[in-house]
Parts: sequence; C-alpha cells; structure tokens
Amino acid sequence: MAELKDIANEFIRDEIEEFIERPDEIERIINLFVNASERMQDISAALIDGNHETVNELTSQALTDNIEASEVMDNGLIAGMAIVGIKFRENFIFVPEVLACARAMKAGMAHIEPILSASGIEPVGVAVMGTVKGDLHDIGKNLCIMMLRGAGFVVHDLGVDTSEDQFIDAIEEHDVHLIGMSALLTTTMPNMGKTIEAFIDADLRDDVKIMVGGAPVTQEFADDMGADGYGKDALDCVSKAKELLAERAAEA
Amino acid sequence: MTASMTSRQRVLAALKREPVDRTPLCNPTSVATVELMDLVNAPFPEANRNPELMARLAATGYTELGFDTIMPVFTIIQESSALGCKIQWEQKDNWPTVRMNEPIWREPDDIKVPADLCTHPDTTCVTEAIKILRKEYGDEVAIVGKTMGPWSQGYHCFGVEPFLLMSLDDPGKTKLCLDRMKEITIQFGQAQIDAGADALCLPDHATGDLVSGEYYQRYLRDMHIEFAERLSVPIILHICGRTVDRMEYIAQTGMAAFHFDSKNAPQESMDIVKDRISLVGNINNPETLFSKGPEAVNTEVTRNLEAGVQLVGPECAIPLQTSIENLKEISRTVRTWHRDQASN
Repeated sequence: MAELKDIANEFIRDEIEEFIERPDEIERIINLFVNASERMQDISAALIDGNHETVNELTSQALTDNIEASEVMDNGLIAGMAIVGIKFRENFIFVPEVLACARAMKAGMAHIEPILSASGIEPVGVAVMGTVKGDLHDIGKNLCIMMLRGAGFVVHDLGVDTSEDQFIDAIEEHDVHLIGMSALLTTTMPNMGKTIEAFIDADLRDDVKIMVGGAPVTQEFADDMGADGYGKDALDCVSKAKELLAERAAEA
Repeated sequence: MTASMTSRQRVLAALKREPVDRTPLCNPTSVATVELMDLVNAPFPEANRNPELMARLAATGYTELGFDTIMPVFTIIQESSALGCKIQWEQKDNWPTVRMNEPIWREPDDIKVPADLCTHPDTTCVTEAIKILRKEYGDEVAIVGKTMGPWSQGYHCFGVEPFLLMSLDDPGKTKLCLDRMKEITIQFGQAQIDAGADALCLPDHATGDLVSGEYYQRYLRDMHIEFAERLSVPIILHICGRTVDRMEYIAQTGMAAFHFDSKNAPQESMDIVKDRISLVGNINNPETLFSKGPEAVNTEVTRNLEAGVQLVGPECAIPLQTSIENLKEISRTVRTWHRDQASN
C-alpha cells in the first residue's frame, strides 16, 4: 500500500498531512500522487499554492517536452484541484484562495485545451450551465464549469441572468440532457423552481437531468423544487453530473 | 419592563439591550413582496426610484405585516447607481442588481466619491422616502435606513472576483481601497440620518460563504468600529451566511446589532456575542418563509425567542414571491409567545 513518504514533493506531503483528515481521502489522494511523476507533482504544488505563473511555465514546458496533455491535466492540474477542493470543503481555505487556484488551473488549461480539442476525444458528457434569472453572480458557476471541463465534460456556459427560455433554447440547440443552475441570492433561488416549471410546461422535463447549486441552496430546497441533484461545491458538482448522466443512461 | 411602548421605543431599546415590553419585530433589509406591491400599487422597479412609491411600499411592513420597523431601502444598489455602476433595474418580480461583470474601478486611484453622491436621484429617492415616512408616522415606528459597507461596495465597483483576488494578491492595496470607499458609507449613512432615520442597516458582505473570519478581523473590524463611532444612530451590521467564526470580532465593533443568517443557530450565536451586541434574525428565507407554511415559521420564531434574540425578523431580504401569510406569522408568534410567557 502506498504511503505518504512515497510522494516525492514535500509541499504536497505537508498539505496532505495538515489538511486531509478522512482516512479514505488520505488513501485516495496518496494514490493519486504516488502515480504522478515529480514534474506533475510540481505542477500540482504550484496550483495548490495558487501560483498561476509557475503553473503556466511548468505546463508549457511539460508539453514542449512531449508529455501527454491528458497526463498534465489529470496528474498535474486535476490532482492539485482535488486537494484544493477538500481544503475548501473543510473551511481551511475560502473563495479568494480557491479563485487563485482556479486562475492557476486556467493558466495550465489554456495550453492543454487546444490540444485535447484537436485530438477528437469523446467527452465524458455535455452540459449547459447558467446562473438563474435576476442573479449576476458567477464565481461558483465558473468554478463548477472549470472542474467539469477538467473532468472531460463539454460545457456550454450561458453566463448570468439566464431566463427559462434561454435554458430551454440551449438544450434544444446543443442536444444536451444535463443542466446546471446556480444562484447566490435567496431572493433569486425561486427562479430555479420557475425554470424547472418551464421545462415541465414545455413537456421537456423528462428529457433532461437538472442539478442545482449555490451558497444558499440546500439539498432540501433542491428536492422541494424538483431538481434531480444538488452539488454542495465544484467537486461535488462533477460527481453529481456523472451520477445523473449514468442515471439517464440507465433509464434510456 | 415598560408597558405599552411604541414600536419605535421598543426597537431603540432592544438595540441598546434595554428592557422592552415585548421582542420587537425588525426588518433591517427588505420585506417587500409582489403581493404587497399590488396591495398598495407600488411595484418594482418604480418603488426603488420614486420616493412616494418607495415610502408607500415600505410602510406595509408596519401597517400590514406588523413589524416595528419600516425599511424603505429595498435594494443594495442605490449608492452604486450614484457611483456610476451599471444597474439592471429589472421588473416587478425581480430584484435590481449591479452588473458586476462590468466593473467601474480597477485601482485605488480610480475611486472617486462623486460630489452628487447624496443628491443623485437614486440616493435622494431614499432620503426623500425617509422624510415622507417620518412625517407620516412621527415617533410611532422606527425608520431604518441602509448604507452599504466598503466590502460590499468593492464587489459592486471592482467586480466580485477581481476584488477577492486583489484581497489575496495585495492586502495593502485592498486596505487602501476600503479606506477610500468607507467615505461612501459615511456620507450616504449621514444623509439618511439627516433625513430622519432612527437606525441604519450596514450590509458588508464578508460572508462565511466567501471569506474567512480572519479576513473580517484583518480588513473590516476596525473600519466597523469607526462606523459605529462616526454615525450617530444605532448601526445594524448585516452579513449573510455562516458567521459564527467572526461573531466574536463583530461583537467588538460597538455596533448596536448584528443581523444574522439562519445558518447560525440562535443559541450558539447568543452564547458568542453575549450582551455586547444585539442580534436580529434569523428566520430562514428560502426554505421556511418562501417554501413552507406558518407552522414552520412559528417554530423558527420561537427558537429565536427562546434563545433571547433581541429583535426578530427574516434573515435577509425576502424573495419577492413570499406569502404575506407567512410574514404575518412572525408577528403573530412573537405576540402570542409573549402573552403566554406573561400568563405563566
């Protein structure tokens, strides 16, 4: 069984020791990093530290040295974000720190995305994401989109202040069966329910899986509105998206 | 305990943690709803830009819902409009918002407090509405104004993401920005005091959903102490989300009250702040007031009363589609609870 000491990068070892408490997560994260090369661990460490300039340099250099783009993404960037996600969930870090890590991830993905797009790899899934009508907050939604794209999804971003009609038009235009709705304000949360009703009225509700999230949104509220899933944070959003697509495939 | 206090006396006493004849019902943010707009023919967005309509809609909190306060500033964007932010005024069933994706400032030197901050139509609307309400209701009811804190103003003027990243990348620059923006808070707050406001709500969204308690202590505690010293009426600080990790610091500010979110248990919150600051809250909006019925409202109000929360009301501005029946239940429960307590 892999152990913490098997991870070469000292910064990552310290991060795991200081911030990850659940035994199953410690084991999962250790396994994630022992299989990554030291160069990938360096990318992860810079990302966890929120250092976008270093991530940019290291990613660019790795690709120049013919390391596979998918390896850099999985073992460097996404592996780093796994630790960031846990630290955020456990309140060791807050949104400013996550934004710095996201900025670093974006710097790396800017090199990787064009290569992956050109390679023609089938996406894990396709989703439409938007902040609901009347709400102009998009940090949470953007983090979810970044994590979904990092996990191999193609995401159509409808931006903020998205009306019911815009959601409906988007799923028809892109032939998408997964929708993510976000709201930051308790005053705009009801618009998630209105959007779901609009899908019912348009006789499209059974065609789509709908997941919701945002700081004031809870599982209870999601259930009351008739959503199919609720993601507590950006990491949760990815697993929820995969779950819902699997459910849909099983129903088909 | 003083018998038969007026609503205004009751609120002002509770803000000082002095004896009251019953717990006051306080609304530091907004209880405007579509039903109330229809009732008095004062719809959004006009009720945010026309002082007569603003005053008429605000008064329903007292006349229809039984609150002890009237709060005419439904939005959090009146001064942002005066600063030049792009505003989406929306329709009757949606809240006006600042287009934060189109920030107006990037650097400390961009921050300019315009000469017409308090004479701009969207800030004058507030001060004129306060004057109308003061004239109409005299000393009967507490009139609460609202002036946004510099942290919230930072989101509006710099954009949420750039402002939060700046707070991490360059704390010195962030502090300079906050220091310059605090004059907006003071000037608009003072204008409302001059117009007759009895108290001011001061939202400053350093929420636990976004930043740490340490951030509050580092960036805002001292500035909030300054607001409490410079503004001559009781200040009700409003921060959404989980805030127990910063309530100790908040209790040190000298502000009269803290308007707290339902993510914080009433008793736990009271235990932290003790008698250093009054608490206002914390009936849940989306799950209780918006989605459930009077029975659930009753349960939450009772939990606050039993914890000794000094002023009871919704946790934040309520969804515009909230039913009047649920809002009236807050008042009914408070009155019944006190009657039962007195007879026991």
